Amino acid sequence: MTVERPDDLTAAERELLERAVGASPPPPEPRWGEYRAQLRSRLEARGSMGTRLRRWWARPAPIALSLGLATALLLFTLHPVERRPDFASLDEAMLGARLDLLENYHVVERLDLLENFEVIRRLDDVASREG
Amino acid sequence: MTDDREATSDETLCRRIAARDDAAFDLLVARYQARAYRLAWSLLRNAEDARDVSQDAFIRVWEAAERFRGDARFSTWFYRILVNTCLDHKRRGRWWTLRVARDTDRESDESLVERQPAPGPDPGDQASEAQTMTRLWNAVHRLSAQQRAAVILYAQEHLSTAEIADVLKVAEPTVRVHLHRAVAALRKELAP
Repeated sequence: MTVERPDDLTAAERELLERAVGASPPPPEPRWGEYRAQLRSRLEARGSMGTRLRRWWARPAPIALSLGLATALLLFTLHPVERRPDFASLDEAMLGARLDLLENYHVVERLDLLENFEVIRRLDDVASREG
Repeated sequence: MTDDREATSDETLCRRIAARDDAAFDLLVARYQARAYRLAWSLLRNAEDARDVSQDAFIRVWEAAERFRGDARFSTWFYRILVNTCLDHKRRGRWWTLRVARDTDRESDESLVERQPAPGPDPGDQASEAQTMTRLWNAVHRLSAQQRAAVILYAQEHLSTAEIADVLKVAEPTVRVHLHRAVAALRKELAP
């Protein structure tokens, strides 16, 4: 009996499609008992994993962790961390700010001298320690 | 009698599954397992994948049963889940599948002919028929995944073009185009 199917295909075309699909070798038949047992165990494994996940998420620590992460993310989005300063340009800026010290360079030189004097002054102590 | 049929209709079983009724799930699996496995095998051409993917489809039914609204037949809804699972599986392992399929095609070219029964009175005719069948089967597998799904749902599962459109989430004219292109490809394959 041919069932009328509104699909614009002629009977010959339908037959060709059915023949092509029917040309497939039969699939290896699974053992249906094993198939259902495997399905059941997969379903149970999935169910217990879902339950475990739900339990894990229900604990206070993961909730606190998630809230902390969410807050950090929010803060980071609102106030992005400033770019690390360019040390070369920072150094130049500091030198530029201290150019006036060059005007007092002679004082610095004398500071060195005084330092030398200090050493000389303490030479006696050093000698006495050596005995 | 009608009440009994109603109580075990696919749609009723699906509602019972939504209420986590194990017995209803087992009944529905027993009813659809062979069809699901055969369809998955036709699309994937691999027994192990067909078993896993058809089981995945049943797991999705279990998880999504409450979303079945009942405005389409359960079988259409189930086929949609199954075909999508198959297409997802193919997409995930496309390059690998292509590589293996090339080898399988080479094997199947021989094995289909070899699997035919021992030659009878006219071995020439039988070998020629077997070769034609192999060419037809391989031609079906050279179609795009969606075209092949349309052909298999039409010619193997006997769904209407409207139902196929519903399963594949495409317009009905698109299904007709798929079928006509498949016919054209098969005719080309059979042309001398």
